[in-house]
Amino acid sequence: MNETVNDDVIVVNGVWKIFGADVDDAMQAIEQRGLSKSQVLDEFGCVVGLADCSFRVRRGEIFCIMGLSGSGKSTLVRHLNRLIEPTAGQISVLGKDMIAMKGAELREMRARNLGMVFQHMALLPHRTVRDNVGFPLQVRGEPKSQRWDVSQRCLRMVNLHGYEDRFPHELSGGMQQRVGLARALASDPDVLLMDEPFSALDPLIRRQLQDQFMALSAELNKTTVFITHDLDEAIRIGNRIAIMKDGRIVQIGTPEDIVTKPADDYVRDFVEGISKLKLVFAHTIMEPFDSYRPGPNEDLRQSPRAHHGTDLDQLIDIAITTEQPIVINDDDGTDIGVINKSTLLAGIQGGKA
Amino acid sequence: MTDTAIDAIADASSAQTGEFAGENSAYYEAEFEKIQGTTGFAWSWNTMAAVFGPLWGALRGVWGFFWIYLILELFAFVQIGRGLWGDLGADQPAKYERLQANIARREEQARELIAAGNAAEAESKLNIAENLKKVAAAAKEQADLASNEASMILLVGLAVLFVVKLSEGFYANVAYEAQYLKWRTNPKIQSGVNWTNAGIGALLLLAIWPLTLIRFTVADPNKWIAQLTNGLLGDRISITQFPVQKQYFAYLARKGDEGFDWLANKFGGVFDGVTAAVRWVLDSLEVLLIQTPWPVVMLMIVVMAYRLAGPRVAIFTAAALAYLAFMGLWEISMITVALIGAGAFLCILFGIPLGIWFGKSRRAYALAEPVLDFMQTMPAFVYLIPIIAFFGTGKPPGVLATIIFAMPPVIRLTALGMRGVPETTKEAAVAFGCSKRQLLFFVELPLALPSIMTGINQTILMSLSMVVIASLIGAEGLGALILEALQYAAKGQGLLGGLAILFCAMVIDRIAQGVYRRRAGGG
Repeated sequence: MNETVNDDVIVVNGVWKIFGADVDDAMQAIEQRGLSKSQVLDEFGCVVGLADCSFRVRRGEIFCIMGLSGSGKSTLVRHLNRLIEPTAGQISVLGKDMIAMKGAELREMRARNLGMVFQHMALLPHRTVRDNVGFPLQVRGEPKSQRWDVSQRCLRMVNLHGYEDRFPHELSGGMQQRVGLARALASDPDVLLMDEPFSALDPLIRRQLQDQFMALSAELNKTTVFITHDLDEAIRIGNRIAIMKDGRIVQIGTPEDIVTKPADDYVRDFVEGISKLKLVFAHTIMEPFDSYRPGPNEDLRQSPRAHHGTDLDQLIDIAITTEQPIVINDDDGTDIGVINKSTLLAGIQGGKA
Repeated sequence: MTDTAIDAIADASSAQTGEFAGENSAYYEAEFEKIQGTTGFAWSWNTMAAVFGPLWGALRGVWGFFWIYLILELFAFVQIGRGLWGDLGADQPAKYERLQANIARREEQARELIAAGNAAEAESKLNIAENLKKVAAAAKEQADLASNEASMILLVGLAVLFVVKLSEGFYANVAYEAQYLKWRTNPKIQSGVNWTNAGIGALLLLAIWPLTLIRFTVADPNKWIAQLTNGLLGDRISITQFPVQKQYFAYLARKGDEGFDWLANKFGGVFDGVTAAVRWVLDSLEVLLIQTPWPVVMLMIVVMAYRLAGPRVAIFTAAALAYLAFMGLWEISMITVALIGAGAFLCILFGIPLGIWFGKSRRAYALAEPVLDFMQTMPAFVYLIPIIAFFGTGKPPGVLATIIFAMPPVIRLTALGMRGVPETTKEAAVAFGCSKRQLLFFVELPLALPSIMTGINQTILMSLSMVVIASLIGAEGLGALILEALQYAAKGQGLLGGLAILFCAMVIDRIAQGVYRRRAGGG
């Protein structure tokens, strides 16, 4: 138990954010009388940006926060490095209480431990790519040579070596965002905060950058909070996903949880259009081996074998090579289930048998 | 779309028109439909508007209509009034009567003289009477002419009134339809009829029409009005002039003098300190530009032009400097440049920090904005007076006047540049741990730099335009040359001096522009 607590790099507990003039009174009223969002707006003229948000992010995890615009996801991520002050609640990053931090300590934390990537890149137009990447180190007061070494290394990581002496406006959107990523990596932070980093890019570039980011993330093992409004992206990238609506976290779970067990109609609506091919696995849709009755032309002995964790996409690949149903093995190689074509099609359609 | 759907939309539209028009809605629905169905001018007649004119506008809340026709109708009424009862040439008949009396007296005297046997004296009296008769005839002719003219004016007035009424009738619905369209996007605009507004309109008419009519149609309106009130308020009520003499003005002006004197005495030390500081900057620049041998200064300027703005500007600069030198204006040109330089330098020295502050604090900017407007719009001659009162005459006060005039652009454009730095960029910098200082120097100032450079450029050019005005309070230089030419109408001197100022301005501007363009080009 103790170990898991230490393993949580980010702990957010009961965070509220209220915008407006009469924030303290509104917060008090919410605590005492349990007012709803619209009641708060009517009574105090305050907008509830975040309502009672809690989550934990484990070391090395990519934690996606997904929601539509106005759902509070960007507000939430800005609380993690305190670009926005919470109205109530606790936030701890790397075991340190972010709320209690003051001036220099907070800046030190931002400069060393928290890298951030922004939707609109926010590069400095008057600086070369090299100096942009070296910016976090310059803020920390590192000498030029060190800055340049690090920025060289980070640009190599995002495949941008050779562009060091260009200016941001000479680069395409995708390249600019890679500079943004390199800049976030430059200070070698423990935590990466990514605020819709790929949203402003066209779909092809977005996919490339997602792949590149996932590869990097696996290699560097950074803890990442990734904001997106695109459920596909969240499912592709995230180890776990939090879905936000109107400033509340509606559901937290793995991509498969979200797709197969949506918490409410809102999430269900979202999940509807999502391709389940990579999210639903053989063990969810298979028929038990013992009760399966082979058809007239079927011979289970000639059937291909597949692991129970195979996803639908791979199952389709196997199914098109053979006329036989697919037999599913458990971890020990024992036959535990069967998937024939009709089971597979039903699974693709509904995600469930 | 089906016909019924279209009908439904049309119904909804006419219902809205009805809601807007309120009273008499059926009429307006029909007229608006006509207007909306016509391209070009729609001939739609509104009798009410034609009859009641401005009052119709007030009732319906079409205030533009109200004011336009209030003035046009008034114009027509004045013509009619002048034609009907205005005594055009009212003095002519009176003069005629007076002359007749005079003639009768002379003739009487002449008869008496003849009776007394003094024929020569009688002759001269009769001559005078004869001459007076001619004058009287002219006066009578004038009076007749005037009465003819009066009927002409009456006719013109009636014609104008008729045309105005016609245009009221035809324009009313067009204006009202435009108001209806505005009302659809902004329901706060008046719809329907509003009798309170009609009352206000009537009051305005009562306040404006009678007085104006009296003013333009009665020979002595002040006396006429006094008679109207039965002399209760004295025998003259002035409507042609505001009945206040200069007593308040004189009093306040005297107080102002005392205030300035008091300040000048009380803070003499401060003012002297400012003057000394400005003089120090000015002297340093003058040493640099005048005491340094002229070949060195010329070479430096040309090389600077070449390095900062390229070969073309360098050639132009060399030519301009040659002009100054050969016209024997080198030294006073350099005095002028030192004056501008000192002004611009001080503007930038104080303007940029102020601009940064105003860019960061909205409240400070809101307070400073009217002051900056004042500095830019107030004619320079006005603030030359307090400057002379506090700082005396000579070059340093000239520099101060220049600063007042030329500082606003650099402040404004610095503030503008600071506010133009994207929030996202600033946020990113803060996210990477920037302190406020680092944010300012790493992010805000570099991003605001193009705007700041524009501000500096403007400030320099505006200082130049103050050169002649500063010479009014004793600042020497090319401005003094022009001033002298102005005083003695020395056209040639004025032209040559003006060209010299023009060349100075162009050289400075081209060099500054060159610097800016290079920066903007990313080089």
